[in-house]
Amino acid sequence: MLYQISHTTSYKYEVGVTFCHNIATIKPKNMLGQTVVDYKLKIKPPPSEFSEKIDFFGNTVTRFSIQKEHKKLKVTASSKILRNHELLPDIYQSQKGKNINLIDSLVTLNSERLKIIDVKQFILESILIANISPEIRAYAEISFKPNRSIFEACYELMERIFNDFEFNPNVTNVATPIHDVILNKKGVCQDFAQIAIACARSVGLPARYVSGYIETLPPPGKEKLIGTDASHAWFSLYIPTFGWVDFDPTNNQIPKNQHIVVAYGRDYYDVPPLKGVIYSSGRNKMNVEVDIRPAV
Amino acid sequence: MTNKAKTDFQNYFSEFKEFDEVLRPDMSINPKWKTLLNNFSKIGYKNLKEKQEELNWLMEENGVTYNVYNDPNGLHRAWDLNIVPFIIHESEWELTVEKGLKQRAELLNLVLKDIYGERELFKNGIIPQEVVFAHRGFLRQCDQIQYKTSKNLQIYSADLARGSDGRIWLVNDRTQAPSGMGYALENRHALNRVLPNISEGINIKQPLDFFNHLKQMLFDAAPQNKSNPNIVILTPGPHNETYFEHAYLASFLGYPLVTGSDLVVRNGKLWLKTLKKLKQIDVVLRRIDDVYMDPLELKEDSYLGVAGLLEVVREQQVAIVNPIGSGILENGGLIPFMNAICQHFFKEDLILPQIASWWCGQKKEMDFVFKNLKNLVVKRIDRSSRENIFFCEFLDDNTLTQLKTEIALAPYLFVAQEKISFSTAPNFVNDNLEPRKVLCRTFAIANKNSYSVMPGGLVRVAAERENLFISNQRGGISKDFWIVSNQNQKPLRNYAWDSTSNNQISDINDLSSNVAENLFWSGRYLGRALVTARYLRVVLNRMSEEQFNTRQSEFDSLTILYQSITNITSTFPGFVGEGSKERLKNPLKEILSLILDDNRSGSLAQTMNSFNNAYYSLRSLWSKDMWRVFDSIKKQWVKLKASDDLSAGELTKFLDRFITRLIAFMALIEESILVNQGLLLYFIGLQTEKAMMHVEKCRATLVFNYEEQVQYEILESLLNSNESLNIYRYSYRSFLSVENVIKLIILDTEYTKSLAYQIKRIEKDVNRMPYSEGINTIAACKEKILKAHTKMNTLNVDSLLKLNDNALVRQNLDDALAEISDLLHQTIMEISNTYFNHSYTQNQLTNQNFPLL
Repeated sequence: MLYQISHTTSYKYEVGVTFCHNIATIKPKNMLGQTVVDYKLKIKPPPSEFSEKIDFFGNTVTRFSIQKEHKKLKVTASSKILRNHELLPDIYQSQKGKNINLIDSLVTLNSERLKIIDVKQFILESILIANISPEIRAYAEISFKPNRSIFEACYELMERIFNDFEFNPNVTNVATPIHDVILNKKGVCQDFAQIAIACARSVGLPARYVSGYIETLPPPGKEKLIGTDASHAWFSLYIPTFGWVDFDPTNNQIPKNQHIVVAYGRDYYDVPPLKGVIYSSGRNKMNVEVDIRPAV
Repeated sequence: MTNKAKTDFQNYFSEFKEFDEVLRPDMSINPKWKTLLNNFSKIGYKNLKEKQEELNWLMEENGVTYNVYNDPNGLHRAWDLNIVPFIIHESEWELTVEKGLKQRAELLNLVLKDIYGERELFKNGIIPQEVVFAHRGFLRQCDQIQYKTSKNLQIYSADLARGSDGRIWLVNDRTQAPSGMGYALENRHALNRVLPNISEGINIKQPLDFFNHLKQMLFDAAPQNKSNPNIVILTPGPHNETYFEHAYLASFLGYPLVTGSDLVVRNGKLWLKTLKKLKQIDVVLRRIDDVYMDPLELKEDSYLGVAGLLEVVREQQVAIVNPIGSGILENGGLIPFMNAICQHFFKEDLILPQIASWWCGQKKEMDFVFKNLKNLVVKRIDRSSRENIFFCEFLDDNTLTQLKTEIALAPYLFVAQEKISFSTAPNFVNDNLEPRKVLCRTFAIANKNSYSVMPGGLVRVAAERENLFISNQRGGISKDFWIVSNQNQKPLRNYAWDSTSNNQISDINDLSSNVAENLFWSGRYLGRALVTARYLRVVLNRMSEEQFNTRQSEFDSLTILYQSITNITSTFPGFVGEGSKERLKNPLKEILSLILDDNRSGSLAQTMNSFNNAYYSLRSLWSKDMWRVFDSIKKQWVKLKASDDLSAGELTKFLDRFITRLIAFMALIEESILVNQGLLLYFIGLQTEKAMMHVEKCRATLVFNYEEQVQYEILESLLNSNESLNIYRYSYRSFLSVENVIKLIILDTEYTKSLAYQIKRIEKDVNRMPYSEGINTIAACKEKILKAHTKMNTLNVDSLLKLNDNALVRQNLDDALAEISDLLHQTIMEISNTYFNHSYTQNQLTNQNFPLL
């Protein structure tokens, strides 16, 4: 599948900004099953400094600063992405991966610890997923059982989150603690991903946060409107003997070609799409528009 | 040891319980301490008390303070230095401690490089990755940063203590922004000054070489090989607990002391905002913890650091000492693996023993910890504050169970240590020597390919006899720390620096905006305090004189003076607005409030408080004499607040003394600071404030036309409040007249207290301010003050004296003064806009605040 993606973030400032420093994690990953055919980042007003570097997790981080006074900032990332999930190993084709239970998983994680150092850090607490509460643990243990396949358990966890939690963009924000989310059972994709990660880690399994995009389809017979898409987030579980498997609890599916990966992290904190420090005294208004459609 | 000393030492024997530095288990005296104890005997234990008091006084006089958070009396608490030093002999120091510290510094340097680089230590199974990856001090943003310095860890600090086996043990590693070396130096100087003969016959090693190495290290850290790099010391500000030390080191080393808001990142470099322009900074000696250093990449809501700094570090355009991210080494989880790390890198064992520790991230170790919990001390690997240290022997079963649950949830976050008892040393308490537990903070500085260790350091003493935990955060006692030698040592010298590496900023163009602003406000507050105090004194004097005068009318001079106070100090409603009738019945109450009420804007107390804040922010600029006088002013205030006699007479006496000291203080400022260091800003603030209040005084007393007797009394008070009466008499030798008063205190261009002179002076000073780059037009402040000056030149006494039709008011005078007042206010506004950078208010693009700590 070849996609054309455009992701625009704009800020309007009440009072002029004398200058600003920003960091963006918005360049889609180039990896097995996903090729970045074309990528352009347009920043208005044009930045006086600009750099792209690979971060600790292997994501592309863009830093830029604007040094002349401005009242508007517009960052547009446009990319052409070739997605072919069939190139990736398929969990359904792996008997071992599909069947490995929790006990064996923990043993394998321990015996292979020197080979999978980078994987094992995803078991640990992270900035937004720390002090995992008994409620989350209990929620996890409904699905994760010592002798049950962890793939099966995780699949069920994804389904349960999809069914138990209400998608509601007005309840949470990026700083809402997961402990509140598990109690209220309301939130957005990012909250659901983080709840799932907390569950996996609470039983000792590595789980990571995936930020990216998802293609949404218009109702049958209608034309797709521009800007109806949004940036998306899901999670990925490490299954010993197999590898990472993605799960999307917001849409209750294992991501395939409609999901485009931008960045991996321990949680949202590691991969915010755009953040910055501005020098200004006033308030600002933000607007995000994402559009994904098959490229012609 | 003489018999006499033994009797004085008797109490100490009775207190002796555990391992002591002086007394051996067989009750004999450690020979290394004998000379010191003999010196004490010679001085006499009775005199020691006096000397201890003198020492306390000196510390207070010198403004050596330690701020204690969350303690109403904690800000600027005097530093507590005990008269009894702590001694270690050179033979032990050099053979084990110094060698051990160097080894550990080298080792931690390699660990730091590895953790943020290749991570071979994980791959080889020497450190479990959780010890690093789960520690909040591991900043992934700092991964793979390359440094040009030969060592990554530039400053290393360790807390040491002697165990019951007689060996010196390592207790804590400090690697982010270790504090204490400034206090150590001040301790040395203070003790030497108060009790020079305490060290008779004892050869003490001095730290001068160490501080030279510190300077050299900072100099060499500059990444761009500049011949004269710019170095600054970054402080969180006057409220930080060790702010004294930041200022002390800044003036000692000769580097500017700056806060995050003084610095800015532009064009990939770090700059200091100065009056004239941005000045590039090459090296930052920071006293701010890792995560606060860059709000863009680290703690979003930090106002202590500089946005974008980390990227400048990555691009090797600035060096931060110690590098951001070095907090990972303050890590209890590393302790159990340190010996293996030492074997890995050096094929040798650690020289300094560490406290036996068990990292709970391993099953065997965790089982052991759970079994023996009662006898252990449990810590989080990434927390060193007292709240995160559990002395399990003191915990009840419930709390222990809770702790176990907490550990089981994330075992890799916890480390347990053997509880260990450290040696005691004599401390002078309540006229006696008492044994107290001590902890020694030591310092090592990267020096070429090795480390240079400070001979001695900062010794801290447990405040209570049984205290296990020592921290200055809760206030504490310190000691001078002597390394004694058999050889003669160089005497303690005063600061002498190699002038070739001096980069002290000495041009007004280079003055940081923040220092400039604080100096400007210092001038304004002091001007305001002086004028207010003098005016109140005049009124209080008049009140005392007229106590038996029963004549009370709306137009009597005293009432007019009361009302003028409100106008001059802008403390409405006061004697003029709502409720003024009531206040006029008991004027002393209102005047008292104007002197003492901290919360009242315009009061003397509030003005002094505001000055206090500016003063502490600038403390690296002040001289010791200034500290002394300032301290006496503060004490005077405390005394007045506690006094129960607050009559007009007593208040007058207070103001007399206050004014004298204030003037002494202001004279000291003028002789202590160079114009180029910023005194110019102070003068502009001072003169402008004085001029503005002078205008208000004239408006309050000269505009209305009063009957002769009242007029006379008011003019006399006005001249008195300016200390101008004698000059008037000398100049005019006549009865007081409005005409002559206007000529003297408004129009006279030669008399320093006249408005015309003041404005001329302000204009001259404002014109000396640098042209700020980036502002093309002539600075607006210069325009405003020129206008005021021009206006002054147009004034003539006949026109000013002219009464309006009903013969009540001198409208021309009031209009002229009002216009000049406006122009002075505008001048101040423009100075602030042009030079003090208010346009740089830091905000987040999206407000968020994540729990990094």
